[in-house]
Amino acid sequence: MWMATLRAPYNARRVALGGFALLLLVLFLFPSQSQGVLQYFDGPIGQVIRIPLEVVASIDQGISGVWHSYVALQGVQTENEQLRQDIEWLKGQNNQLREAAAATERLTALLHFKEQALPTLLAAQVIGRDATSWYRSVILNKGESDGIKSDMGVITAAGVVGRVVKTNSATSVVLLVTDPNNAIAGLIQRTRDEGIVEGTQQGLARLKYIPMLSSVRSGDHVVTSGLVGGFPRGLALGTISRIDKEEGALFQSAELMPEVDVSRLEEVLVIQAPYGMSVHTDGKNIPSGKP
Amino acid sequence: MKILAYSVMILLLVPLQTTLLPHVSIWGLTPDFGLAVSALIGLFAGELEGLVVGLAIGWILNMYSAGDLWVSLVTKGGVGLLGGLLGQHVAHVTPTVVSVGLLIFSAVGGVMAVLTMKSAFGADVWAMVQSMVLPQACLDAVVGAGLFYVANQQLASDRALMSDRL
Repeated sequence: MWMATLRAPYNARRVALGGFALLLLVLFLFPSQSQGVLQYFDGPIGQVIRIPLEVVASIDQGISGVWHSYVALQGVQTENEQLRQDIEWLKGQNNQLREAAAATERLTALLHFKEQALPTLLAAQVIGRDATSWYRSVILNKGESDGIKSDMGVITAAGVVGRVVKTNSATSVVLLVTDPNNAIAGLIQRTRDEGIVEGTQQGLARLKYIPMLSSVRSGDHVVTSGLVGGFPRGLALGTISRIDKEEGALFQSAELMPEVDVSRLEEVLVIQAPYGMSVHTDGKNIPSGKP
Repeated sequence: MKILAYSVMILLLVPLQTTLLPHVSIWGLTPDFGLAVSALIGLFAGELEGLVVGLAIGWILNMYSAGDLWVSLVTKGGVGLLGGLLGQHVAHVTPTVVSVGLLIFSAVGGVMAVLTMKSAFGADVWAMVQSMVLPQACLDAVVGAGLFYVANQQLASDRALMSDRL
């Protein structure tokens, strides 16, 4: 086995130990300033790292595309038949909902309600996962130079994916809805009770702080409440699978099955402005919808 | 030349850690190559080089993680420094020694990461240590020992080649 050699001079050891002690001191005494200095260099470094990251991500997606398109096709016929049946059922539902939407539109006009502007969205590709095992997050191929900022909401057509927590000029990190450190304001669609949706260690989500008198039940849909954060009202968060009601507790909570399968994300939409605001370069959002 | 080699290594470490390794995760855990590489650089090249490269790895990998920067800097830089000190003070460095060192350091780093999480309270911390930190430390120890074995074999063959030439 390898024998230790005393190659490094004594000075190098002192410099290393001194440097590390100084680093610890600076990090603990000036946490935000020291991180700010390093984040200043994130931009150019991020642009350089973007190249190998995107090359590897495109090769990876090419291989998984070939696998899913040609190799892993077992059971596709059965799935296809099931999906055809679902489409027929959804067509019927769609017709009913169109009728309901038309009625809502008439009533909205009648009551002079403000029309809600559509959110401003930006499409991005998922090019990686968190560099550590401690957080459930994904890396997007768009960053500050594309107008992405921290706290912006991220969605797919199915529902909420998560929230942007970190950006550099070329990429951004999205904390998933299933991460225990994430918190999004949610609303039970049927009962209109509000709560906070947090991730769980098991990779699911949990709606907390539901009032004890709420008639919430399994199968209820939870959507974003639109009150806090970068999400407009009504985006699907998940379906309640279990209610936890403890004797003597002030609130009840519910386990949620997230609408989006976060393990298979490829493309997402970043909400740059939840209520149709135009994004300006100085970071201020100015409403562009109807007054 | 050495700086260029380290830069290329860090450049390749990012796609490896963020894009390729998630495909081979065990129970949702991926080995921390950044930690293992920092320790090995400290071991083979000395504590100063280990510290500097470890800090660089910690900083760059943190750009692609939701975690706090200081945790990443302290763990990666610290493991580089300790790797160097281990190389100076332990007479026979074997894969077992490296794996035990990495196991302890990864567990300490993991506990630090868990304690900085918003969601960590009392019983949750212990549950996270059991379900995440300890398996992660074992995984890092195995990967580190494997990398050390490969690097050591390579170094031994290079030395043999050099002595033959002389």
